[in-house]
Amino acid sequence: MSEHIIRFTVNGVRREQHVAAQRRLIDVLRDDCGLTGTKEGCSVGICGACSVLIDGEVISSCLLPATYADGTTITTIEGLARGGELTPLQDAFITEGGFQCGICTPGQLITATALLAAHPRPTDTQIDEWMTSNLCRCTGYHGIRRAIHKAAVT
Amino acid sequence: MKLSHSSTVSAPAERVWSVVMNVPTAARCVPGVAAVDPLGPDKYKGSLLVQIGPVRLVLDGEIAIVSRDDGTHKAAFRADAKDTRLGGTVRATIDVALKDVASGCEMRIDGDVQIAGRIGEFGQPVIQRKSDQLLAQFAQCLGRTATG
Amino acid sequence: MLAGGTAFTLLLRQGLIRPTTVVSLRRISGANRILADSHGGLWIGAMATHSTVVRSPEVRRNWPEFADAAATVATLRIRNQATIGGSVAHADPASDVPVMLAALDAQVIVRKPNAAPRVPIDQLFIDTFTTSLAPGEFIESIQIAGRGPNTRAVYLKYTPRSVDDYATVSVAARAEVEEGRLRAPRIFLGAVGGRPMRAMSVEAALGDGTEARAFADAAALVRSDIDPIDDVRGSAEYKREMARVFVERALRTLVA
Repeated sequence: MSEHIIRFTVNGVRREQHVAAQRRLIDVLRDDCGLTGTKEGCSVGICGACSVLIDGEVISSCLLPATYADGTTITTIEGLARGGELTPLQDAFITEGGFQCGICTPGQLITATALLAAHPRPTDTQIDEWMTSNLCRCTGYHGIRRAIHKAAVT
Repeated sequence: MKLSHSSTVSAPAERVWSVVMNVPTAARCVPGVAAVDPLGPDKYKGSLLVQIGPVRLVLDGEIAIVSRDDGTHKAAFRADAKDTRLGGTVRATIDVALKDVASGCEMRIDGDVQIAGRIGEFGQPVIQRKSDQLLAQFAQCLGRTATG
Repeated sequence: MLAGGTAFTLLLRQGLIRPTTVVSLRRISGANRILADSHGGLWIGAMATHSTVVRSPEVRRNWPEFADAAATVATLRIRNQATIGGSVAHADPASDVPVMLAALDAQVIVRKPNAAPRVPIDQLFIDTFTTSLAPGEFIESIQIAGRGPNTRAVYLKYTPRSVDDYATVSVAARAEVEEGRLRAPRIFLGAVGGRPMRAMSVEAALGDGTEARAFADAAALVRSDIDPIDDVRGSAEYKREMARVFVERALRTLVA
């Protein structure tokens, strides 16, 4: 199995990792970088728990070969808050009941962050289209939608 | 997983029977079969290479004649194979029935295939399609061998 | 050969493939571009992602129906990573892009050691996960010729389970439509055979300049053009029936 050096920026920090060819980005983020906020749910790219931002795009880190992270800028859930201060979106998730057990929440926040970057005042249709593949077993989704609308006007 | 194939061969049932029951000859009709060697009475070992796109299976195993009736031209086989590379097993029971008809012989093959392990994860539709194909090719080749 | 890496990662994790060498196409410059030609046609680099197609102004202008078809694939995240060339080379008969490209009569530029032939896409697909590509060959680009003033196209994907699912049945259709009459139909179905299946009987029955009242009878002939199997998404018989329903709907959509 070959080893590769990958260089990427994650949450503003430049990193250099040696990775075996078969590893996925989620393995590198959790095991090598210690960023365990990104969760592995379904392992097949459907549930969204492992969502991260790569060069601004939402990607399933469970499906990305780690070697493909080379040269990219990555944001994980740990990278949203700055200096301990939560983003308006994270605050809204708290006040609007956007999470219960929390397992899907990092993925929800990552995708919603990308949604608000593309559409600062999203319609319900846009929220549906963007968020549809971040699954939640607890909340029934309405709290997530309310939180996104609240963050949009903040 | 159930498989089934029916076809008519332009040869008498007795001739088709002699091809079917000659396991090393009949096995050559399965695409991807490598050598088939006798292990004992009514028992043979061999290996089968199956390719589905990027996935290659090498199934090593045994096939045994479980029952045969030379009078009614009915036989049952059992195959057990393992894919040591991927980690999976295939177990199949195969029933063959021949019947003389006006134009030759009607050949019916019914199979029940149980797949466990990695190969099973591939997805039943893919395996079903591939198995149906192999069975159809096998039956066509048996027919050609019997009439040739 | 590795394109986006979605199917590759899944197969690798399932232990179904054990490649000794993997070559990634990720860094080939320009391979992910989309260009429009002066006749309304499209040149789609093999490494263009589904999302790139969905958002592309060139695709939206020249073949918006293709962008709509690409938008039905899986999830946003998979669309951000999976490529058009990868989808074609992977040849999953239940996938969407191959079926739509077949209906649009797309041409695939294949890179061989000393040649780069154009292959009509419906000739590329042989069987489940199997294309005519030989080892060492790969897809460089996919080209779709420009449309005429009366050309209509549609992709219908039947997903009764969840929106991110594979199709139970899908229909991609293209035709010339004048005064409510349909000419030169080209109809392919997905998830009902080992590859995109062409609805030859339906096309033959439609003939030239057909009106909508002939659509139901023509669509009913699709049963003999497809080869679905029983699986979790339904019985073969159910899929044959749904194929009939969705072929008729596709035809009506084209003339609407």
